Parts: sequence; structure tokens; C-alpha cells
Amino acid sequence: MDHSGPTREGGELALALTVNGEARRLTLPPNVTLLEVLRDRLGLTGTKKGCDHGQCGACTVRVDGQAMNACLRLAVMCEGQEVTTVEGLASEVGLHPVQRAFLEHDAYQCGFCTPGQMMSASALLEDERIGSDDAAVREAMSGNICRCGAYKNILEAIHTAREELASQRKEGGIS
Amino acid sequence: MDTTIIGHRTPRVDGEHKLTGKADYTVDWQADGMLHGYPVPASIAHGVLETLHLEQARAMPGVVDIFHHDHFPELYRSPSSAAHQDQVSEVRLPFEDERIYYDGQYVALVVAESFEQARAAAHAVRADYRQEPGAVASLLDTEQEGRLLESEGVCRGDPDTAFDQAPVKIDHTYHIAAESHMQMEMHATLAEWRDGRLIVHESSQGVVYQHKALARIFGLPDEQVEVVSHYIGSGFGNKLFMWPHAVATAAASQMLGRPVKTVLPRQQDMESGGNRPASRQRLRLAAERDGRLLSMRHDSTTETSFVHAYVDSLGSATPSLYACDNVTISQRLLEVHHGTPCPMRAPGETSGIHALETALDELANALEMDPLELRRRNYNRSDPAKDLPWSSKHLDTCYDNAARRFGWQHRDPTPCAMRDGDEFLGWGMATASWGAMRMSCAARVELRADGSVMAACGTQDIGTGTYTVVAQTVAELTGVALENIEVRLGESTLPAGPLSGGSMVTATTLPAVAAALRDAIDALKEAATGEGGAFEGSDPQRLEIQAGALVDQQGTRVGFAEILTTLKLGSVNGEGQAAPGDEKRQYSFRSFGAHFVEVRWDPGISRLRVSRVVSSIDIGRAINPAAARNQVEGSIVMGLGMALTEKLDYDPRDARLINNNYTDYIVPCHADMPDIDVELLDNPDYAFNEFGARGVGEIGLTGIAAAIGNAVYHATGKRIRDLPITLDKVMTL
Repeated sequence: MDHSGPTREGGELALALTVNGEARRLTLPPNVTLLEVLRDRLGLTGTKKGCDHGQCGACTVRVDGQAMNACLRLAVMCEGQEVTTVEGLASEVGLHPVQRAFLEHDAYQCGFCTPGQMMSASALLEDERIGSDDAAVREAMSGNICRCGAYKNILEAIHTAREELASQRKEGGIS
Repeated sequence: MDTTIIGHRTPRVDGEHKLTGKADYTVDWQADGMLHGYPVPASIAHGVLETLHLEQARAMPGVVDIFHHDHFPELYRSPSSAAHQDQVSEVRLPFEDERIYYDGQYVALVVAESFEQARAAAHAVRADYRQEPGAVASLLDTEQEGRLLESEGVCRGDPDTAFDQAPVKIDHTYHIAAESHMQMEMHATLAEWRDGRLIVHESSQGVVYQHKALARIFGLPDEQVEVVSHYIGSGFGNKLFMWPHAVATAAASQMLGRPVKTVLPRQQDMESGGNRPASRQRLRLAAERDGRLLSMRHDSTTETSFVHAYVDSLGSATPSLYACDNVTISQRLLEVHHGTPCPMRAPGETSGIHALETALDELANALEMDPLELRRRNYNRSDPAKDLPWSSKHLDTCYDNAARRFGWQHRDPTPCAMRDGDEFLGWGMATASWGAMRMSCAARVELRADGSVMAACGTQDIGTGTYTVVAQTVAELTGVALENIEVRLGESTLPAGPLSGGSMVTATTLPAVAAALRDAIDALKEAATGEGGAFEGSDPQRLEIQAGALVDQQGTRVGFAEILTTLKLGSVNGEGQAAPGDEKRQYSFRSFGAHFVEVRWDPGISRLRVSRVVSSIDIGRAINPAAARNQVEGSIVMGLGMALTEKLDYDPRDARLINNNYTDYIVPCHADMPDIDVELLDNPDYAFNEFGARGVGEIGLTGIAAAIGNAVYHATGKRIRDLPITLDKVMTL
């Protein structure tokens, strides 16, 4: 990873990062958040803005694998990093197990917080520090508000996705 | 009717769009040359705007224009008529005068090339105000009574005399703080003018209403306006009717000749984008010693702003819920200096039933009677308010089932008597209810030569599952697979459909879709029996549609795609209308249910949690049981917030909103979740419509806060009559 940081070009800054596996180069003012870069400049509008203050979790993306609020991260801090958004969750073989489980369990209503819920869910399912019981999952997901209140179904979906990921691992699928 | 798709769980037809980021919410739309709007909110609640200092903001990078009182076009007010469907949330136009009526009222709209530039410039606008004394923050902070609304009054029998003479009575006053909808997608408008035609993308629960209101305000013929709202990051009532940000954005776009998008920041959304008004309710209930209600007196006051008279009708359910001959309802309205209130999920009755169901719990205590038994003793079989039989009422089954699943028979009636280790258990219950509404509606259906079916209606899917239940209806009536059905909603140029409010979309829309579909099938039969048709010369009456094919009595089947292709027809079309009819004179339509709640109170660490909710709800037929159950579960979650944490805090000194964000206004999160067990009875209400559905979006929120409060009383022995039941109240009372 290059730690030299972004370079200045006429008041704006140059940024190189990877988004959903694709290398991106941008020039932008330093006060632009990762969220705005994704939505306004890269057209990846699946990531949502619910508060712009890191309070609701709708903008959760994964930065080098870690779930983060894209609204709290200046884009220029992401130099050299790998960002995954909801648009990058599915693969060529189809929907991610988390997406399939959300569909099956009706784990949403309006769908606006859903990308953020799923990005947090996909991260926690890979995080061995977080337990698999209801209380641990609820605690880990509590940065993602769902005002429609589909929490019960989201919890069930996460449990189902965990089982599917485990059986995929057994079959030597996704590592 | 026997159904194979309606009444059965199926994944949402729009699910994959929502799960892959493809769903096009208003905030996701962009247009060529689009500018960004950012409103400047007033920083006082009561006074006059004297001077706006714009020089610094105007000189900032990317700023294109700043609109305000002295720089804004002359527009018309919308008549704001429900009957003419041009209702708005605030009749006052943006920047109309220089008075400040509430904190957060727009004093300017900055328009710039980028969002960051608009935001920076809006923050650089300075304003001088002449603040006036006497700002009223909330009805909770004043002794003022407000004005009596004669039109809201109801009286039957002689409630005063019956109350005075009754052997057992209670008389208590309940307060509920103002609440915020906190829908995840903030209010947003993208306005664009093309050849004099106004095209608006709005996160809206009512595209037809906004269309008409914009036409009135800009003085345009209806044909010159279009409002689009394909996906809505929910609304809960505050997106039913247009707010001033949309008018300001459309006007800015007109003046600048470029598209303008305004997304309210969360703080402004909470200040000026609607709220459930605070309320004060006095309940006087009287009963015989056997529990039979002798008198019910329900006197309410709600608040509104100084620019728009919104009335939250708190007493509207009270005359219908129980058998009682003597009932009076009154409603007062008080103007306060905060943002205009508007409907919020189960408006009026959520607050009213909370007070009534809490008062009944108090009455049960006074009678030394089980609170469920008190409700059973006052069960009614017809609607005493209308003197009509209920179309379909199964509340007794709801009581039985939910009580059994909850284990209510094990309840020790004495407060503070049930313990589990360090925790006191509290068990409480309440009745839920919401009226069944249905409006007139139009729809269009196309059967297409490629084998697909398109159904269109100018209503919206706000997350309740409207796309899916429309597709299920088409699938049920044609046998066409769900994946070959396209549903178009959320465009005001489609056949006029209902507001996504009042839990009425399903009952209103599906009969119109069915009518349009039958019209299209008739057209198909006519074509098929005509010259060159697959059933040339046959009697169209003798053909049936099955699994996407016409079938005659000999069993000959021809798919509609083949019929159309052979005839070189791209499609056959059907138009349909449906409206409520004579049934309203025969029956009263209302849904009922019951909530049973367990709370746990740990006095050692002052921790209060809802641990268990068991609900049984009768909504007629659930078209999609998964989506319907989700609505009730979500309502329970919202009710948990209403009961324990949610309160818009207006500073009593200056009426400014203090907690304008998700951290200080606390909505339930994952970690707050109790075990929730919801049962939906399945008793189709065919008197209401051919599909038997009465709607499900709101009923779950009624009664839940009362059941929680009643459980808190049972756990702690403390009756907290003011919502939310925050820990300070439990500890100090």
C-alpha cells in the first residue's frame, strides 16, 4: 500500500482507489466524503445517505473489508484502499448469500437502509470476534437503523446467510 | 375464493432491485446539468427576518443563485383540498413573508453546482432577526387550552350524568410528546422543466396529490406536470402531502433553466418536514361494579403550527371500540412555534387509543378486575358510532389466541409481584384497532404479445409491498408467472391511484387492477373470437383464462401471446375503475387486534426493557402474509420507541428543536428488540372488497404503547401517564 498520500492538483486532490474490484482515479476537493464520491461521482447510488452524521448506518460500505460509514470518511483518506458497496456484493454466480437470505426472509420494507444492513451483515459474518447468538448479532448490527422495523427478519436472514456460507465453505466454494 | 397466489407468501417482486442497489429512489436521480439546492433554516422560532447577508455566500465557489423573500417568483397557493386532491402539508408558500413562524423555517435556498458547494454557501448565509417573546415550544409547556373544534365533537347518550352517578370511575390526564417520523430517506425533490412542462421526482406517498398541488401553485394545466416516485425510503405519513422544499426547488429550476435537486439534511427534515403533534388527553371512564362501561369522556388537545391547521383526530376510534351508551368526544387545537405537524402512522388513533387503553387499565385496577376481562365485558358486535354491524370482527379470537400464546392466565394481578432473579416482570395488554378505508381508483393493464403482463396504477409502494400484491393479483387472475408481470407505480401520469396512507392502498388498488385486467381479458377474447383469431367464431363468453391461455369448453388452449402474435397485435389493453359502493350503508369496517407485552425492570441498575410481545391481529385477508406480518412487526418496533424513548425536545425558552438527529432522538435499534410473535387471523372480509383485505400498515402501532405502559405499571407499581416512559420518570415517580 502506498502511504505517500494523495497529491495536490490545483486545489483539488488526486485519488486512486479500487471500488468493487475496479481501479478508479478521481480528482476532487478535499471535503468530499466517500459517500458523495460513490453516489455522485461514480454513480453507485446503492449506498444511501440517511443522516450524513454516522448515526444511521445507511451508508455502510466495506473499506479493506471493514464495515464503515462512508459519510464519515473523506474520500481522500481512501487512497489505495479497496471499497466494496452493495453493487459489489453479488458475484457472477449470483446474489450473495446475505442478499438471498434478505429476499427469502422479507428482511426489509422500504429498502433504503437495506444496502447498509447487508454490508454490515456481510462483514460481521466474516468477523470471528462476533458471536453467532441473537444477542451478539443484534449488538453488532445496532449501528444500522431500520425505521421500518424489520429487525426480526434481518436477524433471521443473517442466521440463514451464516448457515449458507458455512455449507459453501464445506463444499469448498467461497473461502 | 380459493386462491393459489393471493394469501400466500412470495418474495417481493421488487426485492432484487432493493437488494442490489438498483432501486431508483428520488435521491438517486441525476439529470444533465443538475444543480444542488440547500435550504437555509431560520435559527429563531418566533419573530421577523430583518436582513439576510448573502455577499459572502454568493462569492463562494460554484454558487449559482440564492433564493429568498426578495428574490423568488410570485406563485399561487394551493387550495389544499382533500376532495380535489391538491392537499399540501403547508399552505404557506416558501419565503412568502418575512415572519418566522417556527424554528427551521426556510429563509433562503442556496443553489450551487455541487452538493458540497451548496452546503458550504448555505452555512455562510447570515441572517438578522428581530426575535419576539412568547414563543410556545409545545402544548406540554403551556397552560393554554387551544380552540375547540366543533366539527370534531361527538356525543351520544348522557355521558355527564352517567359519569356522575356511576359507582366506579377514573379521571386522568395523559400527555404524549411530539414524535418524528425519522423515515430513512429524507425529503427530496429533483425538479426539471422541459418545454414549459414541470417534471418532479419526489420521495412521495402521493404522486397524484403533489401533481395537482404543483399545477395549482405554478398555474399550470394538469397535463404540464408530472411527479415520479418509483421507490420511497419510507414516509410514515410525512410524505403524503407536499412540503415547501419542493415548491422552492421547482421554482429555482424554473428561474435558472436547469434541473435542481434538493435533499433535506436530516436536521432540517426533523425541524420542518413534519411530526406527530404532542397531545394532552383527559379520559373520564365510569363503570358498573361488574365492569360494564357507563360513560366514556375523551377530551383531547393537539398542537399545530401557525402556518397550517393540522388536526390529529385523537378521539375518532373511541366511540366505536366498546359497548357504551354514553360517550362524548372533544378536540381542541393549539398553535405552537414549531414545525407543522402532519399525519404519522395511524394518525390520531395511535395517540387516542394509547390514552383510552391506558385508562381502561386504570379502570380495571379500580374495579379489581383483570384488564382483559374488562375488555371482554364491553365487547361490541356492532359499531355503536354508526349503528351498523361490523363487516367482520374477530377480536374475541385475537384476545383468546394472544392471551394463550402469551400465557396470560399465569399473571399475578398484583404489581411488583412477578420476579425473575433481579428483575421485576410486568405483563400488560391493550386492544389495537384501525378503520378500514377504501377510495376510488383507476388502473390499466396490458396483455402483451411477448407473453408478459403490465399493470399500472398511480399509487406508490412505500415499502408495504404494493408492487408485489399487484403482481400477485395479476398472477392469480391470469395464471401468468410472477416473473412475467411488470408492475408500474409511482408516476402521476398513470391512472389515478390512492395516497399511500390510511392503510387503504391494497383494498383500493387491487379491485381496480382486477377490473382493468378483466377488461383486457375481454378484449383478448374479442380478438381471439374475431376474424383470424385462434377461436374464430366462438362465443367469447365460453372462453376462460387459465395459466396465461384462453381455454374453450372443448379444452382447446391457446396462450395469449400466441393469440396476439397471430393477429399481429402488440397488446390488448384494459382500463378499470373501482370504488366503494353501497356496502358502506350496510356495514362498518374496522380492523381489530390485541397486544400482550412483557417488560423487565431491574431496579438495581434502573434498566427497563420490553422483553416479549405477542400480538394477534385481524386484518381480513393478508394478500402477502410475509409482507403483512412485517408491517405489524415494524409497527410494534415503532410503538416501542413511542412508549420508551421517542420525544422531539423543543427548548421551552425559545421553541427551538434540540434533538434534531438520530443520536439525540432515539429510535429502536437491533439491540432493543424483544421476542415478537405476531399472528394474523385469516378471515377474508368480502363485504369490503373482492379480495377480502382491510389493510395492515397501521393497526399494529395502535395500542402497543399502552400495552407497554400497562406492563410498566404492573412491573413497577408506577403509572406513568406521559410518553415516553423514560427512566427518569420510572425512577422519580
